[in-house]
Amino acid sequence: MPTPTSNTHESDQSSPDGLSRRSFLRSSAVLASGLAALAASLAPLRHLNDFPSLDQFLQKYYKELTPEEMAKVLKRIEDEVERQYGLRPHVRDLKPMNGVEFVYALNLTRCIGCRKCVHACVAENNQSRNPEIQYIRVVRLPHGSLDLEKAEHNYSPEQVPEKGYFYMPVQCQQCKNPPCVKVCPVHATWQEADGITVIDYNWCIGCRYCAAACPYWARHFNFTNPSIPKERLNLDMAYLGNRPRRQGVMEKCHFCVQRTRVGRYPACVEVCPVGARKFGNILDPESEVSSILRTKRVFVQLKEELGTSPRFFYYFDV
Amino acid sequence: MSKGERTGTVLLVLAVVFFALGLKFVSGFGTRPPAPQKIPLVDTQFLETATIRKSYAELIRTKADLSDFDCYACHEKGKPPVLRFDAKHDLIVPKEHEDVVMGHGTHNRNNNCFNCHDEQNLELLQARDGRQIKLAESVPLCGSCHGPTYRDWEAGAHGRTGGYWDRAAGPMKRQICVDCHNPHRPKIPPRKPAPGPHPLHPVAAVAAEASH
Amino acid sequence: MKQAVRNYLVFLWRSGRLAFVGDWRYYTWMGVLSVFCLLGLNAYAKQFAQGLVVTGMSDEVSWGVYIANFTFLVGVAAAAVMMVIPVYIYNNEELHDLVIFGELLAVAAILMCLAFVTVDLGRPDRFWHLIPGIGQFNFPASMLSWDVLVLNGYLLLNVHICGYLLYCRYRGQAPAKWFYIPFVFIAIVWAISIHTVTAFLYVGLGGRPFWNSAIVGPRFLASAFTAGPALIILAMQVVRRVTASAPAGDTSRLRGEGGESQTPKSRAAALGDLDLLAGHLAELATIPQEVRKNILTGAMVLEARAGDVFLRQGQTDKESFFVLKGRVVVKREEGGRFRITRSLGPGEQFGEISALAGTPRTGTAIAEEPSQVLSLPATSLHKLMASPRMNKIIRSRMSERLLITDRALMTLRSIVQVSMLINVFLLVNEVFKEFYSGNLHVASAKYLFLGLHGYHALVPWIWTAIGFNLVAMVLLVLPVSRSLKWLNLTCVLCIVGIWIEKGMGLVIPGFIPTPLGEMVEYSPSLNETLVCFGIWAFGLLCYTVFLRMAVPILQGRLSKANEGQPEFGVSGAGGRSAL
Repeated sequence: MPTPTSNTHESDQSSPDGLSRRSFLRSSAVLASGLAALAASLAPLRHLNDFPSLDQFLQKYYKELTPEEMAKVLKRIEDEVERQYGLRPHVRDLKPMNGVEFVYALNLTRCIGCRKCVHACVAENNQSRNPEIQYIRVVRLPHGSLDLEKAEHNYSPEQVPEKGYFYMPVQCQQCKNPPCVKVCPVHATWQEADGITVIDYNWCIGCRYCAAACPYWARHFNFTNPSIPKERLNLDMAYLGNRPRRQGVMEKCHFCVQRTRVGRYPACVEVCPVGARKFGNILDPESEVSSILRTKRVFVQLKEELGTSPRFFYYFDV
Repeated sequence: MSKGERTGTVLLVLAVVFFALGLKFVSGFGTRPPAPQKIPLVDTQFLETATIRKSYAELIRTKADLSDFDCYACHEKGKPPVLRFDAKHDLIVPKEHEDVVMGHGTHNRNNNCFNCHDEQNLELLQARDGRQIKLAESVPLCGSCHGPTYRDWEAGAHGRTGGYWDRAAGPMKRQICVDCHNPHRPKIPPRKPAPGPHPLHPVAAVAAEASH
Repeated sequence: MKQAVRNYLVFLWRSGRLAFVGDWRYYTWMGVLSVFCLLGLNAYAKQFAQGLVVTGMSDEVSWGVYIANFTFLVGVAAAAVMMVIPVYIYNNEELHDLVIFGELLAVAAILMCLAFVTVDLGRPDRFWHLIPGIGQFNFPASMLSWDVLVLNGYLLLNVHICGYLLYCRYRGQAPAKWFYIPFVFIAIVWAISIHTVTAFLYVGLGGRPFWNSAIVGPRFLASAFTAGPALIILAMQVVRRVTASAPAGDTSRLRGEGGESQTPKSRAAALGDLDLLAGHLAELATIPQEVRKNILTGAMVLEARAGDVFLRQGQTDKESFFVLKGRVVVKREEGGRFRITRSLGPGEQFGEISALAGTPRTGTAIAEEPSQVLSLPATSLHKLMASPRMNKIIRSRMSERLLITDRALMTLRSIVQVSMLINVFLLVNEVFKEFYSGNLHVASAKYLFLGLHGYHALVPWIWTAIGFNLVAMVLLVLPVSRSLKWLNLTCVLCIVGIWIEKGMGLVIPGFIPTPLGEMVEYSPSLNETLVCFGIWAFGLLCYTVFLRMAVPILQGRLSKANEGQPEFGVSGAGGRSAL
């Protein structure tokens, strides 16, 4: 090991621990400017879109919230929305109804591809307009095949329906065996008793594993803060449903929980001009979905072979 | 340059580089946020839940002007109107009813007004067995020919349902046939679709369109 | 207890300080890395503020280069530790020091993996949701939860093993085998598991037919064992060059060696010398007097000036030596340069391998300062080692050498060779399976290899990767890659080829087309690329710091024995080794 006297190339003074004053100054200069650059590199955080408050950060998992805690959370959400949009919503935590399992049936003979369902859903569920998030995607397929590789997503003819094609709207299939629930590392998404797969937006960490797992491309991510026009905000909100989301979390079709859990039809069903969409309680033999599944001979569950067991049935009349 | 001096130079350069980086970061030089693409709000017509047309029953319900349906303002009571056909045996619609465009069935199967309308009482409809049917309650008339559809409609499988699926919570809103189908030309007319989806990163989409 | 903590903190402080001192090459390297780290941090701050919209990802391609790099680096981390097998299972002495370097590389790689996963999260502020017990940990259903467990466990394992071994070496104590050997074997198994679990992240998704295939797991392992050791081959040559003191031919710069070798003065050894040695080597004190007298037969004490040579590399003499006073440095010529393999103080031994195994000298021992050294003939050493305690201490110290021999690199080369052959074979399997049956699920593979519906952004990438891999495979099989120049080229081809194949070539095509048949391509944004560079720079920075701490400890130049003495290399000394 070299002793201090062995350093013959330097002409600077040595202090007892071998460190010269000049090299100390040099190192300090580099260290100081390095630390300054380090602090400066965090400058973009000045424009942070939203920084969680302590309450938000510490909020417990949905299933562990007591009713009192949930009431506080709901009120906090109402305050947040009011602060952001100037309008006070009504946010409820709606539980599944007893004896209900929702099923969706869609008549592929009737759908004309007008996309009104897409936009009614966007309006009802307070989805971001820019960047655009849409739970429903209508694809156009040529007659005779359900091969999604032939699907066209961006059709915009003067008039629909076009000859030689049919239209298939796809949204979350609320699978009985959902791959998204299986892969979520933090249980942020789960299936409730009425069959709806829901997301706790305050629990999701945004890893997007569920988006990779979903075979129906039904899960959508907030790549930045959503923008909702104030004049189109739907103030009738549910915690697991259409309350406004934040940057960095997933969202998807939840069968309009704010409507269906109080007995109403989802927005897409109500707007369809040709009545192609059917929704109801499969456990009720009188419901229209029960009669459809009983009487129609052929119905299709998308990608049935994957074992997801969707609660979404495509059927045909003629 | 000796090793020691080289070290000194390197450290000096580093200090300067760090300082410059720090300035760059703080000033935000070279970090223009990309201009967000313009996505216009969708036209509110696409959010309307009203049916394509307003049936007579709907007009009654909304207490609208029913003067169009006052047949005997022009026709004579007791005198059935005479139908006229052209050389190809197509019905000639009189110019007073030019808003009626016939197209009910292929091969002009329903080429005769009085297949549905009652010539003896123009304010009523008639079924094939001669039963008279009120204009506002026309569903059984359609059903007398369109059996399977009628059956589906009764079960709620044909035609749009709205309102409450849970009858205990509220009423289900049903549509009747003529809320959506023009009885003279029942095929749902084509329409302009709402705009398609906008991708998150527009440039890729433009290139894709170009290469399609 | 307090003393133990103090000792440990001093160890950390002294080794940590080393990270801040070096010569101009070191400062340039660290400076460049720091600049990239800062750029990456700034880019990430922007992403944290504005959201992941600043990347090139979208709902259609929802994972990008972050996860691609993560996947590649998990493989590197797994492979780095797998090299442990030849050492501990097959007792390949040549690879012994590489083990520590391999495990340190694993630690750096895991840190990079954790960084890549964190920057990919939409809400990293909610990380606590993942902690079992506090958050909601979806174990065992979610493969991501498995990955969290195995990666963090692997990190802890390797930090423990390396930290313990280095700290023991620092203290000059033999490590207690029960405290690290079991962990080494666990680490071997764990290494396979981290990469299999990462593969299962993809394999388990039925909705993505490109990934949902049994071959993905084996391919991951094969490509990891190609790229990982290839990286280590390159890294070890850098370590070798950077820790070498001078080119072998240039003897004048070896400090103290005045051009002609000088043998030290010698005299017969006496009991008093053994007592002096016993003062430094406690086990010697347990040897009874008669045995000690016996050992003295033929024993000499050498009085050396600075620069005197005790033994030379390649010679076949068989004495073993123990340092009584002063300091001795063992240098070894490797790859055309001299490197210090050990630096020995009082109580430490050298030359015993030749005495015990009869092999030629593995290095040249030179006195660094005026020293007194005890020389024992081979017979005396055998008598000494009849005592079990002496036997144990001498043997345990035998294996601690900083050897990066060309033979070690050739062993690594064979690992890369076999793994690349398997990797290419598995590729052929995959291509056949995708394209022969012609069913609909081939869309993603078509997009990757041939282009689909007019989209072909990845086609040049994958064919470059395949080309690199095939050329590398051929070179590996040919004897030409035994030459280091060709081997290095081959390693670079392997690493780049596998990085492309496992990153862009695996992660991205899984998303194109989307499950609904939409074609949306992906390319990383500038911000995303800067974050990636920043994390790679951070990993290299960590690895450099680790090596900067480990090499002097392994060489014996940083040890408890020289606590309190002036730090070497602190004044920016020129001419000496960079470490």
